[in-house]
Amino acid sequence: MISEEQQDQAALYALGLLDADEDAAFESELKANAELRDLVRELREAAGDVALTAPSLLPPASLKQRIMGEIALETKRVVPMPTQRASFGWIPWAIAAALAVFCGLLALDRVRLERQLSDIRAADPLMQTTFFALAPSAPAPSDAKATVAWQPGRQSGVIRISNLPAPQPGKDYQLWAVDAEHKDPISAGVVRVDKNGVAQIRFKPVEKAEHVKAFAISLEREGGVPKKEGPILLVGTT
Amino acid sequence: MAETSTAQQMLDQEMIARIGRRDQSAFSALYDRLSGPLYSLAMKMLGDPAEAQDALQDVFLQIWSRAATYDPEQSSVFSWTVLLTRSRVIDRLRARGRRSRIVVASTEDTLTGAADASTVESAADTVEKNDEAVRVRDVLNNLPSEQREAIELAFFEHLSHHEIAARLGQPLGTVKARIRRGLLKLRERLNSL
Repeated sequence: MISEEQQDQAALYALGLLDADEDAAFESELKANAELRDLVRELREAAGDVALTAPSLLPPASLKQRIMGEIALETKRVVPMPTQRASFGWIPWAIAAALAVFCGLLALDRVRLERQLSDIRAADPLMQTTFFALAPSAPAPSDAKATVAWQPGRQSGVIRISNLPAPQPGKDYQLWAVDAEHKDPISAGVVRVDKNGVAQIRFKPVEKAEHVKAFAISLEREGGVPKKEGPILLVGTT
Repeated sequence: MAETSTAQQMLDQEMIARIGRRDQSAFSALYDRLSGPLYSLAMKMLGDPAEAQDALQDVFLQIWSRAATYDPEQSSVFSWTVLLTRSRVIDRLRARGRRSRIVVASTEDTLTGAADASTVESAADTVEKNDEAVRVRDVLNNLPSEQREAIELAFFEHLSHHEIAARLGQPLGTVKARIRRGLLKLRERLNSL
């Protein structure tokens, strides 16, 4: 049970209005009170939504270029480029010319290969399969992982999970298909891991999912839920 | 949730995870999704396009460097980035010592003032986002006016509860209760949409 005073503090905390001492005291209270943490999360989401009431504007396109440039620069700093010798300045031009010719040949070859690939896809079911690699989100162990092989045409798939410990009693893992045409994720059923944290099962989402962008596994009430409620443990796109 | 459907939240989390692994294409996609609302927030609080752009740059560089520390247990990606933006903007307001001159502009004023440096989103591009904004605005406008006022003063002007109490001439306890009730009601109504 959360007192009214705690609720007051939670609202002020969510808005960043507590001073440093109050903030520290409230954070230690939060560590010991899961219900209070849930309330703070809810209030943070409400506070976040208030931002949407600001008049709608877009930054100039040049800002994105500026930011992407900063990031590229930072990445370059981490991976130093090899130095070039001035006396061989013509070499890059020669390489560029050779590459241009090579790219032309590749383009022609690509058209031919695409035609062949499309013939093979039609004949081989494996080629109609899309693979999704699911990586762990914060609450899951960092070495947990899963791979989904999804066949959109058949509306079914296979998931293999490893290093995901069995959930606590009263809970189950549930698989979800995130589809571009659906507001909420579509349940693909409960998945149960063995004592080694491994599972391999075939699944079929409860609704048609023709534009799957990602798969995710969440921790839910035992037996699963119709609409996702619990935290995401693994999520991944193609 | 008003801003993001559960499916969108999952995709946001996936993007953040990829950004944590230094994926620039994921970063670019997240920028495209969030730069509009975050810039709008910065503009509303700062009232100056150049400063709002600098603040937004700080925020996105922070997202790039801190993505690996994002905790989905604490907030959605959208709320996390809103709070980062507010925090960067507040730092700037403190630095320039002009809290008293914060511009809480009306929609019309802000759009007019920013037209030279910013692009007003086209209706076609932002139908969905604006739908959400309209819904949040409706819910906020339907709160009791004293609760709405307290939340807006706290959120956009970053007045402390003490300052709000002084400005409104109300006891501190009353202001705290207004903020609490208003936020809880806002959450409840947005969840039921």
